[in-house]
Amino acid sequence: MRLLPFDYAVRNLGRSPLRLALSVLGGALVVLLVIVAGGFVRGMDGALRATGHQHNVLVMGVGSEESVERSEISAATASLIEASVSGIRTRAGVAYVSPEVHVMLPVRAGPAGERHGNAFLRGVTPAATLVHGDVSLIEGRLPRAGADEVIVGRMAATTIGVRQIDLAVGAQLRIDNRPWTVVGRFTAPGSVLDGEIWAPLADVMTATRRETISCVVLTLDPEQAEFEDIAAFALMRPDLKLAAMPEREYYRQLSAFFAPIRAVAWVTASLIAVGGLFGGLNTMYAAFASRVRELGTLQSLGFRRGAIVVSLVQESSLATAAGALAACAAGVLALDGVGVRFSAGAFALVVDATVVLIGLGSGVALGLVGALPPAWRCLRMPIPTALKSV
Amino acid sequence: MTVQPLIQCRGLTKSYRKGDTLITPLRSLDLDVAAGEFLALMGPSGSGKTTLLNLIAGIDSPTAGELRIGGQDIARLSRSRLADWRSDNVGYIFQLYNLVPVLTAYENVELPLLLHRLSRRERHARVAAALQLVGIADRHDHYPRQLSGGQEQRVAIARAIVTDPKIIVADEPTGDLDAESAAAIMDLLSRLCDELGKTLVMVTHDARCAARARRTLHLEKGQLIEPGRLESREAAA
Repeated sequence: MRLLPFDYAVRNLGRSPLRLALSVLGGALVVLLVIVAGGFVRGMDGALRATGHQHNVLVMGVGSEESVERSEISAATASLIEASVSGIRTRAGVAYVSPEVHVMLPVRAGPAGERHGNAFLRGVTPAATLVHGDVSLIEGRLPRAGADEVIVGRMAATTIGVRQIDLAVGAQLRIDNRPWTVVGRFTAPGSVLDGEIWAPLADVMTATRRETISCVVLTLDPEQAEFEDIAAFALMRPDLKLAAMPEREYYRQLSAFFAPIRAVAWVTASLIAVGGLFGGLNTMYAAFASRVRELGTLQSLGFRRGAIVVSLVQESSLATAAGALAACAAGVLALDGVGVRFSAGAFALVVDATVVLIGLGSGVALGLVGALPPAWRCLRMPIPTALKSV
Repeated sequence: MTVQPLIQCRGLTKSYRKGDTLITPLRSLDLDVAAGEFLALMGPSGSGKTTLLNLIAGIDSPTAGELRIGGQDIARLSRSRLADWRSDNVGYIFQLYNLVPVLTAYENVELPLLLHRLSRRERHARVAAALQLVGIADRHDHYPRQLSGGQEQRVAIARAIVTDPKIIVADEPTGDLDAESAAAIMDLLSRLCDELGKTLVMVTHDARCAARARRTLHLEKGQLIEPGRLESREAAA
């Protein structure tokens, strides 16, 4: 089948600047939405999957395996595990055992506490920096116990819903109506820890009036111990009512818990894309219907209907691909890394090569699918009727 | 030895349905057109002349009857084979020129050649020759909107002849032109027959244009009117 020159499709785009603008803009909006959905899904999934160390084990209360926040175990558990289980990693004689309190609390920020939201507060000891090796201080210092000091994650402001400046080093916060001072900022790239606030364990326990901790996070030396050793310890001490779980498994389950939300993101994007598709169909039909006589002429010259459909699809796809490219550029420049809060903390939208490819693909598909029905409708007309068309 | 006509219609009928009504614009028509002939078709609106032209051009299919062109029954060709046949055998000249507005005169004339296996150089030679023949070579890079009606029709004629088809069909080729341009176009069409030996079938309402043809046939209600009947009708009028 002999095709029409590609130039014909390109030049037809310029016939109606308004129609071209509508097609490009429509394509861009739909693709931007797909990119937001893709970035959301990949960001959330990536953050939950990236959280947790391969050799880390979470020890928490029985029945709290789905949410450490609900867990309460004895504060002595950390030292008991350290004393009872061999094969826990150490550095300079310090064991990688981190007793922690995980709690979601209301936070007020700003000069008069006018901005507020909920924050994920993690009460920690210095051992936390050992077991959470991907956490690094980017500004300030670690908090001192007894001074009501905190350090905040790079995306904590997003989690709480306040401005970055409200959580700057030196800023005052009221956490559960108690004043705290921000003394440092940390980052844990790509993980949900990036959206947390960390404070000394003792201070958090005092502030929350609790005598128990939420969990113990420990790092095993893979050459000396394995997860089953910790699981066995939990079973052998029924009095402590402990459950052990690999840290990655915990966040994998958390990721699975949020799967419906990710599905909703795709479904929403798809529904709006279908809406955009109908808009595109309308625009393309108007574009093709105004050229019915020309399409009839091309057929009378000997061009097959398939060749004309290919040209019309090229034309439509070029317009939406231009919109898709603009949307991808906007996505990479403006959306990549934008923080999004969710109940487990915060994550950054990820507009990577995969998301860009999905966006470009959906733009081209939009042009393809948007052109076929109107092209078919115009070309199924008998040639003599098409030639008589005004 | 009997010379076969180039176009041979036998019992050619075209009918279609419009709602509950069956419309038959062409009714059991017999017609022979010799190769190199310049035939004019005249008749009132709805007489079936454009339907006959479209059938000969292969852009419409008869409901019944036989339509042989160059010995081939084109009524039996599939839609895609008919498209190929058109590109090889027919050049169509429209009343409103039907040039593609986004292509230059040169590109419009080149368009039918893209359906043939020709190199760019061969295409260029053919397009240049066609534009030269119709006297519009100096406007080759102009877009249709930059040309007058007469010039547009010349480009359309160049497009119709560039593939060197056996048959050229023209539907009211001067219908949208002033008298001077119309005369020039008719001169050109006559030359196509006289000098290039093309077979030309033209639909027209204009008796002066029809007078340039070697033969004029009149249609009424989908049937050819015999010359004797026509003469007596004209005498009565």
